[in-house]
Amino acid sequence: MELLRTDNLTRYFGGLCAVNDVDFELASGEIVGLIGPNGAGKTTLINLLSGVFPPSSGKIIFKDKEISRLKAHQVNSLGIARTFQVVRVFKKLTVLDNVLAAAVDRRRMGPWGLVARAILGRGEAGEARDRDEAHRLLEFVGLSSYRGELAENLPYALSKRLEIARALATNPTLLLLDEPSSGLNPSELNGQIEIIRRINRQGVTILIIEHVMKVIMDISQRLIVLHYGQKIAEGPPTEVYRNPQVVEAYLGGETNAEH
Amino acid sequence: MSPHARAWLKWALGGAALIALPLVVRDRYFLHLLVTAGIFVLLASSWNLLAGYAGQLNLGHAAFYGIGAYTSAILATKLGVTPWLGLFAGGLMAALFGLMLGVPALRLSGPYLAITTIGFSEILRLVAMNWVELTRGSLGLYGIPPFTPIRLGNWLEIEFRSEISSYYLLLVLVCASMAIFRRLTTSEFGLSLKSLREDEIGAASIGVNISAYKLAVFTISAFFAGLAGAFFAHYQRLVSPDTLSLGETFTILTMTMLGGLGTLVGPVVGAVLLTFLSEGLRFVEDMVKLDVRMIIYGVLLIVTILFMRGGIVGLWNSLRSAGRAEE
Repeated sequence: MELLRTDNLTRYFGGLCAVNDVDFELASGEIVGLIGPNGAGKTTLINLLSGVFPPSSGKIIFKDKEISRLKAHQVNSLGIARTFQVVRVFKKLTVLDNVLAAAVDRRRMGPWGLVARAILGRGEAGEARDRDEAHRLLEFVGLSSYRGELAENLPYALSKRLEIARALATNPTLLLLDEPSSGLNPSELNGQIEIIRRINRQGVTILIIEHVMKVIMDISQRLIVLHYGQKIAEGPPTEVYRNPQVVEAYLGGETNAEH
Repeated sequence: MSPHARAWLKWALGGAALIALPLVVRDRYFLHLLVTAGIFVLLASSWNLLAGYAGQLNLGHAAFYGIGAYTSAILATKLGVTPWLGLFAGGLMAALFGLMLGVPALRLSGPYLAITTIGFSEILRLVAMNWVELTRGSLGLYGIPPFTPIRLGNWLEIEFRSEISSYYLLLVLVCASMAIFRRLTTSEFGLSLKSLREDEIGAASIGVNISAYKLAVFTISAFFAGLAGAFFAHYQRLVSPDTLSLGETFTILTMTMLGGLGTLVGPVVGAVLLTFLSEGLRFVEDMVKLDVRMIIYGVLLIVTILFMRGGIVGLWNSLRSAGRAEE
C-alpha cells in the first residue's frame, strides 16, 4: 500500500538544481535505501520530505494528502519523523529530556494550551505516561544508563541513537534516517542495524540515506539511486549494484576517466 | 524527614522570613531598596524566560517595563482609572507590544534579533521623550496616584502610601509571578521552549511550532515586565523616559547573567544582590564623581561570562555536587 509518493519533485538553490524531477513511492512497512555520490541531492530530498523547505515545483503526497507546502512541525504531526546527518540533539538538555521534549503531545495542543495547563498545575514535563514511554525508548536504543547525562556529553555514536529515540517519541509512521551509521565503528554498526530492523518490525516505514555498504545491503529491501539530483536507478540492492549507470556514477565512466 | 516535608519546611521558613523582614528592620530606606529589588526580580525573571529558557536575545526589555509604567500612569492621571485595573492594563499593553516584537523575531535570531530589539526600545524611548502632550516628555509624568486603599469592612483599611504596605503588595505579586514562572518552566511548555533554544530545526522536527512558541513567550515575558512597570508607576509616582533606557535593560541582563541564566532562582539572586550593591556604590560615586555602577556591572558581566557561565546558581550547584562526590 502506498504511504508516500513524490511527483516531479524539484528543488533549486539559486541556479543549482539539487533535486531534479524525482518520482518515487514508498510502500507501508518498507525499508528503502537512498544512495548516491556526494552532492547527489539525498539530504535535500529528505529536507523536502520533512518540510525544512518547500519544493520549487512538484508534489509530495503522504497518506493521500498533499504535504508539499507544510512546515516541518506540521509534517511531523502527520507522522513523519527524521534524524539529521550532523546530529541536532538538544545539547544542554539531559538525554531523558531530549526524548521527553519529543513525547509532548503537540497534535492536540498549541503553546497557549500548554501554558494554560502549566498554570493550572497540570502538564508537568514528563508526566508518568510520557516518562514510561521515554524510558522504554531509551532502553530500546541502549541509552538507559545515560538518561541523566547532558546530551552534549554523549559520544558521537550514542548521540546518533539518541536522535533515533527522539524521533520515535513522536510516534511516526515514516522515519527518515540521514546517515545513521556515519562515524560508527564496525561493532557499533551491527547494533545500529539491529535497531533499525527492530523499528521496522514494529511497523514503521523507513527511508535511509547511507554510505556504508554493509548497512545498505543488509537492511534495505529496495534502493533508490540519485545522481546530480536525478533518480537514475531503483530496485533490489543486488540489481541496482549491477546497473551500469550506477557503477558509472560511483566509479566514473570511461568518458570521465579521461579527464 | 521526607524530602517532601523538608521542601515544604524550606518554603514555609523562607515565606515567614519575607513576611517578618519589614517588621524586624523598620528602616524606610531599607524597605525602599527591598521594593526596588522586588521590581528587578520581576524584570530579570521575565527576561530570563525569554533569553534563558527560549534563547531569544531581547535587548529591549526595558521597553516593556516602560510601556507598563506609562500605560497605568496615563490611565490613572488622564482618565482616572483605578491603579488596580491599571496594573493589569499595563501588563496587557506590554504583552501586546511583546506580541508585536515577536513578529520580527520569527525571522531573526542571534545578533540580528538583538539589534532589532534595541531599535524597538529606542524608538519607544524617543516616543516617550517627544510625545509631550501625552507623556510630558523628559519632565516625566508626575502626580500619579498610589494604589487606592483596600477596605475590609469598616474596621480595616490598608493604604499604599508607605513602603511597608507597598512591600507586601509587591511580595504577593512577585510570589504569584514566580509560582507561574516555576510552573511554566518545568512544564511541557518549558521543555518546548528549551528545545527551541537548543536547536530550532531539531525542535521543528519533533513537532514544535517555532513561530507560535516564539510569539507566546514574547507575549508572556512582556506581560510580567509590564506588570512590574505598572507597579513601579504607582509606587514611585513618577515615570520618566529613563524607564525605557538601554541602561535599564543592561542592568536586567547583568542581574540575570550574574545570578544564573536559564535557572529559576538565578534572576532573583542577581536582582537582590545588584540592587543592594549598586546602592552601596552610590557613596563611592559621590566621592569620585563617576558612574562607577555601570563600570562594575560591565566587569561583573565579563567575569561571569568568562569564568562562570552558570552564574552564582551554577557555581553553587557545581560546588554542591563536588561536595557530594567527595562524601
